[in-house]
Amino acid sequence: MKNLNRRGFLKTGIAGVAGIALSPSTIPQTLSQVTDDIIYRTLGRTGLRVPVVSFGVMRSDNPGLCKAAYDKGIRLFDTANGYQNGNNETMLGNLFKSYPRDSFFLATKVKAAGITREGTPTQETTAEDFLAKFSTSLSRLQMDYVDILYVHDISNPEMLEYKPIVNAVQKLKKEGRVRFIGFSTHRNEAAVIDAAASKGDWDVILTSYNFQQAYRKELDAAVHKAAGAGIGIVAMKTLAGGGFMDKEKTKPINTTAAIKWVLSNQDITTTIPGMTQFDQLDLNTTILKNISMTDQERQDILIASAEPGLFCSGCQQCLASCPKGLAIPDLMRAYMYAYGYNNPAQAGELIRELGYGNDPCKGCTSQCAVKCSRNFDVKNKIADISRLNDVPAEFLA
Amino acid sequence: MYKLILNILAACLVSFSSVAQDISFPALKGYKISTEYPVYVRENLWDFIDGAADNYLAYGFIDVHVAEYKKGRAVIKAEIYRHSDNIMAFGIYSSERSPSFRFVNLGSQGYIADGAINFFKGNYYVKIKTYSKKEKVLRAEENLAARIAAMLPGEASMPSMLAWFPSDGLKQNEEVYINESILGHSFLNKGFKASYQVGNDAFSIFIIESNSADEARKTAETYIASTGISPVETAESKFVLTDGYNGSVFLAWKDRKIVIISGLAKDQSDIADRYTSEILK
Repeated sequence: MKNLNRRGFLKTGIAGVAGIALSPSTIPQTLSQVTDDIIYRTLGRTGLRVPVVSFGVMRSDNPGLCKAAYDKGIRLFDTANGYQNGNNETMLGNLFKSYPRDSFFLATKVKAAGITREGTPTQETTAEDFLAKFSTSLSRLQMDYVDILYVHDISNPEMLEYKPIVNAVQKLKKEGRVRFIGFSTHRNEAAVIDAAASKGDWDVILTSYNFQQAYRKELDAAVHKAAGAGIGIVAMKTLAGGGFMDKEKTKPINTTAAIKWVLSNQDITTTIPGMTQFDQLDLNTTILKNISMTDQERQDILIASAEPGLFCSGCQQCLASCPKGLAIPDLMRAYMYAYGYNNPAQAGELIRELGYGNDPCKGCTSQCAVKCSRNFDVKNKIADISRLNDVPAEFLA
Repeated sequence: MYKLILNILAACLVSFSSVAQDISFPALKGYKISTEYPVYVRENLWDFIDGAADNYLAYGFIDVHVAEYKKGRAVIKAEIYRHSDNIMAFGIYSSERSPSFRFVNLGSQGYIADGAINFFKGNYYVKIKTYSKKEKVLRAEENLAARIAAMLPGEASMPSMLAWFPSDGLKQNEEVYINESILGHSFLNKGFKASYQVGNDAFSIFIIESNSADEARKTAETYIASTGISPVETAESKFVLTDGYNGSVFLAWKDRKIVIISGLAKDQSDIADRYTSEILK
């Protein structure tokens, strides 16, 4: 180890620099450590051989991190037209323009315009808009083609039939500007994937897939059906939306275990965990060569799976089943403000704004008819949080 | 007893202050407002903006209120993102900003690009979008943006820390705030970055303001230690590091400020010294 004591770069000169450069480094070497023991899987009918860990570039603004991932053997880089309002694609384009085009796979996503909350198209959902966005993506990426183009965020099987968009992506494929076409889905995934499996239009599906999803059986069946039909399956949201089980970030998820758990499903070709740190990259690249779960990792996933959630997904499926027509998602949001964010003032304000008083369920039968997709104990949560109605705002602010 | 329970409840919950307020979207003449979207919060933001959510969460996202304004076939969608503070709002805004956009005087700063009007003010980041190309609709969109900007509380100014960056060679509208993992390192957080072009030299300057001089020193030493060097405490320390991932990096600190310069070659310490000295003077 060397001791350094410098008061100006001008004084230090090159010798000092060389001294540091030659010092043993605790930052791992990055270059050319790709070896044959990386685990690859084939992405369905595309035939692409892809390492089991890929890179969800999403919010990384550091080309050095992507370069390091490439050097460690990661080959599929996943971005989207909308990530960082296009800056994400621009960063990748600036990086990969100096790499052989056949040495990596690039996937991007374009969102069709004007999609309703129910996932259906509107008059704004046009091929022209979609194609213009894709052209912008290609321009930012400085590439002639992308390997995979996903229609971003399909949550309704109806969209799989929507000709303006389906024809647009097929046109791009015929033109060679896209090698393979797919879609991403993170709501109503099972139904959408199941519907896609019966069609020949789609080469790849990017789906949320993690240990916390309540509809595991349906999703696994749909994924298996799609994989059997030759559709390549890529998993996202493998960490269940973040690295922690709770809002207070006191219960970290074993991220390695979470990714390995996803890969234990042979129908999944690869995962795209988001990374912004070299530490995360180092951790995730260990999985490139070892996807076997240890007993401890299995135990960690088991514990994390059982962790109750605080948070309403806003699916609104509960609304029809409440005899009193309560705005249950808003009440659950108030509960989340109070107990998830420790923000009682915000919770109290929302409760008062809703105007249900301190006992919204008053007069209703003791057996609550509300069906919550996340199995919340809705009645008790409403009773609990509605007490804030009687707490003066000044006590909460 | 009931009052006691309420007091206990309040006492348990009142551990954090808040400036809670729900959003009421302003009216827009001739347009009907529809707010059928739920208010998305941290845990279900994914349902609204999919993978882009991660970036928002990293910048202290609290919630987003969404409204659609409809008039005939014209639709204008407005999204008001609430973040934990002004710097976080600038952070998410700046991560989606490009210097090629047409900047407008909205809130602290805003821009217009391809039917979108985005701006930030106070703790809020606002995104308004229409797919209509009609001049009337675009004017209505601008009108709506101005109304929302006027309605939202908070200072309409840029973060004061941006003034620390020397102006010589500074590339306009490329400053960003990075909340986590500057240069991909988990120990470097909460800093501003600016891009420079000086002659043929393009480089980036990062400024981190730590909570204390001691914290700044420890952070810098952690960085140096990660390259295998044992640092010595000095009043004003300046180092040149070879970061295994990011190449040559110039590192300096004084009091609470840390300055990191990347993109310059090892033998360009004169440039690094000039900029560092100006920032740390």
